Parts: sequence; structure tokens; C-alpha cells
Amino acid sequence: MTAPTREVLLLDDDRWDRVLLATKGEAAACYQCGTCTATCPWGLVAGPSIGVRSVMRRAQLGIDGWAEAVWRCTTCGACEEHCPHEVPISDVMLGLRSLAWEERSVPHGLSGVLWDMHWDGNPWGRPPSARSAWANGLDIPRFDATKHSVLLYVGCTASYDRRGQKIARAVVSVLRAAGISFGTLGDEEPCCGDPARSLGNEEYFKRIAQANSHKLAAERATDVVTVSPHCYDTFTHYPGIGEAFRVRHYSQLLRDLVAERKVSFAGLEPTKVTFHDPCYLARHHDETEAPRTIMAAIPGVSIEEMERSREETLCCGGGGGRMWMETLPEDRFATSRAREAAGTGASYLVTTCPHCISCLEDGASVAGARNLKVMDLAELAVLAGIGAAAPTEASR
Amino acid sequence: MTRELHTLVCLKVVPKSEEVGVDRETNTLDRANARSEINPPDMNALETALALKDRFGGRVSLMSMGPPFVIPTLRVGLAMGADHAYLLSDRAFGGADTLATSLTLARAIEKLGDVDLVLCGEESSDGATAQVPPGIATWMDIPQATYAMDVDFEPGQRHLVVTREVRDGEEVLDVPLPAVVSVKVSCNEPRFMDTGRFALLDNEELVTTWTADDLGVDREHLGLAGSPTSVAGLKEAAQASGRRRELVSGTPEEEGKILYERIIEFLRGAGTRGQEAPG
Repeated sequence: MTAPTREVLLLDDDRWDRVLLATKGEAAACYQCGTCTATCPWGLVAGPSIGVRSVMRRAQLGIDGWAEAVWRCTTCGACEEHCPHEVPISDVMLGLRSLAWEERSVPHGLSGVLWDMHWDGNPWGRPPSARSAWANGLDIPRFDATKHSVLLYVGCTASYDRRGQKIARAVVSVLRAAGISFGTLGDEEPCCGDPARSLGNEEYFKRIAQANSHKLAAERATDVVTVSPHCYDTFTHYPGIGEAFRVRHYSQLLRDLVAERKVSFAGLEPTKVTFHDPCYLARHHDETEAPRTIMAAIPGVSIEEMERSREETLCCGGGGGRMWMETLPEDRFATSRAREAAGTGASYLVTTCPHCISCLEDGASVAGARNLKVMDLAELAVLAGIGAAAPTEASR
Repeated sequence: MTRELHTLVCLKVVPKSEEVGVDRETNTLDRANARSEINPPDMNALETALALKDRFGGRVSLMSMGPPFVIPTLRVGLAMGADHAYLLSDRAFGGADTLATSLTLARAIEKLGDVDLVLCGEESSDGATAQVPPGIATWMDIPQATYAMDVDFEPGQRHLVVTREVRDGEEVLDVPLPAVVSVKVSCNEPRFMDTGRFALLDNEELVTTWTADDLGVDREHLGLAGSPTSVAGLKEAAQASGRRRELVSGTPEEEGKILYERIIEFLRGAGTRGQEAPG
């Protein structure tokens, strides 16, 4: 064991002020109990765990060298669930990332993500003219407030990622089965700004949010429904949210349709499914019942819960901008998540997030869980024959 | 060196290459529907300049030749941290080949009078000749280094240490200033701009436009008149016939092994066609 070294730390007041400003004062509330460190999913994998408490302390004291751990955070919010001082740790991490940008302590490749957003309007560096290619053959109308009640916001991943495109198409089938009148913005759909926000470039995010709010107002869109929980969460940080427009994740709309008996399902052969709660629904928005209400309405489906479910869900590893960073195979939370899902005996691992789908399919592959099929809730709904509900006795 | 370094970066605003089509009637490039961007290797040149400024101070200027509509794109370079932009814009500059372009840029750089280092991208994505940086150095009669991977500077010395990519290795050059250096694409990661600065930049204050009259160059050496290059013809390249596709499945490790074997097999095949297979 090496002898401890002693070093006199001279606290830099200017730096402390910058940390306070960047974290909106929240970093000050941490009193070092360590619950966060114990609950962080980085403790489950091979790589170094994130000493969340230590990051907070280093930030409070203005000690250099905190940035590496800050970039590994997936902003899953598991720590916040248990923090006795209710420190919004994800937001603190994003604030610290903004300082890391100022100091140019940013992992390689992340500037490129923001440049892709600037030049191409999406974080995947794909041309805007290909944005609506996911909808080929579906004949989806351009949103028109005089004709459509819902603006379907597809998002970049569901628009460009081949796997994500299937989710977008399934969501369209769900909306059509329910008779919802909707349109999309087609190739004009802008990025919601999630990558800028989750990578800690608050300034860029604010500008995107401002511009998009003007666009939504110009479109007179008042009811926005998203495919991804990340876009949903991002819209909730827009100016005008709840006044000029409301936003829902599609599962919340579908839950209402099920509850109002406007849709029904033909059903499946008896099938065990397990549900992976996306962090950005279960923890950041306390939404855990909508997907379960929907699945419970499908004849033949039985839900086998994983131990870590609802607000205790295990992050897939793709949040907090981690989709744009490399994670070593032995450090991927999704591998142990896929094992946990396979352990329930379920045939389907269902979730409602394009990022979760990507990570969990990779996880199932790495874990060798060949009998486990990863699917989006919308895909399950289509598979189960979603349709307009048959008229009930009462309504006849 | 007592004076602070003044670096000038040549930026070309180009159409996004994937959005440029070919007009089948006229056999010319159709750029009408293409969006603009800063030529990607020029972004690497700008990052090189800004990194030197971070370490040693000094000023970074941008220079571009093009119509006034490129100004919004030049603002991106200013928002990344450049101090001033010079736009060379005149109908007389139109249709310039690399000879006329490099002359125009060289005379404009000389007009500034105090530039120590001219940084360029290795080549443009739309022209891809790589002739402009050596052209500028030749017109100005100053040293040049091309395809640089790294540019270092010793404070107090009036020279650069340039690491340059060559076949099978690298060359380290000692380059006295003033000099022209072209950098390889992807030699660094261009920093993202300050979006706050981007929104607030004052074009009037930060962008200076010069016309042919400002440069005092005989018009017969500018633009189309000064360009001996002409495109004699354009032919469509033969399309590779039928892409072959094979789906490999297995665990990521198994898939990786299969891919590795396929690549080795391919490289061995290439070796039998006259190229040496890697050991």
C-alpha cells in the first residue's frame, strides 16, 4: 500500500462560482452520504464505478480531474431516486459537462455530433432530405393544424436508424388503428435538441428549443406525440411547454385509448413478456403504468416483472449522450439487463425507447439470449392485432 | 519572436458533396439543391490555428473567395474563435482555376502584410486538386509543407515543426516563417462553435470584403480570364456491377471472427493481383 500523500489544496473561489452557476447551485446541496455511488449502475460492470459522491465533492471544491467520470454518466437518475437531499444529480452532471466544454475536456467525437446537428439537423450526420425515408409507402400527410389533432414527432433516431424506423412505422399503425388524425413535419422536422442538452451544451440547446418553439407555434401544433422518451423529455424543457402545446410519449396516448376502450387487441397465443422501463419515462417522468396498462389489455400476454423494474429500472446505457460514445462490451449495462430479462422466462423483452432497443438488442446478442426477442411496445401492439374497438353493447 | 503569431486560414465554402448532382444535358455539376458547408479539411486547418492561438496567443484571420452568400457560413469560423474574416468577392474572380485562385489569395494575403502562417486544408471536397496551398506559397515565394498531421511552434523562434504524412511513415520538417501549411483531413477534431457568439456576431465589424480593385491585380490574371484550365469532357464512371451481400450471424465475437477471416481472404486475393499482402 502506498503512503497517502499530502497536498495543500488552495480553493479557487472563481471556479467554485462557475460550478455553482453551471449547476444552478444544486451541487452545493450534496452532503456526501454516498447513496448515489452505491446505486450507480456503473457499480455492476467491469469498468471503474463512478464515484458520484466524489464527483460532487470535487466539483464543490473545484478540484480538477472530475471530467472523465462526468462523461460516463448516463443520466439514468437511479441515484436521484434515493438521494436523501433530493439533489437533481443528472442535471448537476449536465451542468458539469458544460464546464468540461469550456475547458475542452470532452471525449473525442462529441464535437462531431454537435457539428452534425448544425450542418445536417440531426446527430447522425444524415441528409435532411432523407429524414422521412422511414415512411416510404405509408402515405403520411404533412401536419396541418386544420385537419390533424396530433403532430407526430418522429425524432432523429426513429427517422434514420434502420431499427428505429420499424418502431416509427409501428407507432403509425397504432395511431391509424385508433383513428387518430395526425401528420408529421416530413423532411422539415427539426432535431428536438436532445443530443445538445444531454451532452451538456445548454447554450446550443436553448437556441434549438427557442427556434423549435417558434416553429411549433407557426405550425399551430398544440398536441405533440413522440416516438422516443428522450424527445418527450426534451420537449418538456422547452419554453411554452404546457401553455402553447402539450407533449406526450405515444405510450401515454395509447394508454388513454385503451382506458377509453377506443382500441382493442385480437391477442396473442399465451406469451410471457417482460418490460424494461426506459429511464426517461420511469424515473424522469414517473411514468411506469402506461405501458403496463396497455400490455394488460392484450389477451394472451402475461407480464413477468424483472426485479429491477418501474422506478428501480436498470439503465440500458444509452442515455445522457452515451449513444454517441463508445462503451466497452464488458461495461454495457444492457448485457446484464438482457440476462435478467431472459431469467424471467419471457419470450419478449418489451420497452418503449429506440435507444433502449438498440442497446438491449446488442445486450441480448452479447449475453447469448437467443430466445429473447427485443421489441418496442408499439411493435407488440401491432403483433397483437391492435384495432378500433368493436362497439360495446352500451354504445349500440 | 517578439510579435504575436498572425495565422490566416483559407476557408472554402463548398456544396455538400452528397447533394451535388450531374446535369445530364450540359455535363456540368448541378449544385442548385446542395446545401453549403465549410470544406471539411479547412475545418481541420482552422482547428490547428485555434489550438496554436490557445497555446501561444496571437490572432487568427479567415480568408475565403466566393459570392456574398458564403458570409453566413464564414460566421461559423468566427464563432469557433477566429478574430476576423476577409471575403474576396467580385464577378472578376468567377470561373477561377487553381492558378488564378492561388494568385488571388496570395495577393490578398500580401495586402494584409503581417501574416506569419497560412493554413489550408489539404484539398477541397469539390475540386480535389490540392494545388491551391502550394500555389499560394509559390506566388508568395515562401516555404510550404503539405499533408501536415501536426503543426507545432516554438515560442521565440520564427519557425514551425511540421509533422507530415508520407507513404509508409512521417517526415518532421523545420519550416521557417512565414510559410504555407496544408493539413490532412481528420488530423484533429474541430471544436464546436460558441453558439452564443454565432448568434451575436456583427458581420459589418468582423467581415471585410475585398474586390478585384482592392487587390490591384491585372484582371487578365483573375477568374476565367486568368485560368488556363478547361474541362475538355466529362464521362460517367462505370458503375461497379452488382454489390455482393452476405449476412453473417452469431454472437458479436463469432461475427467478428467471420469478418476477420473474410477480410484476410480478400487481402490475400489482392496480393495475388500484384499488390503485397500485409504480413
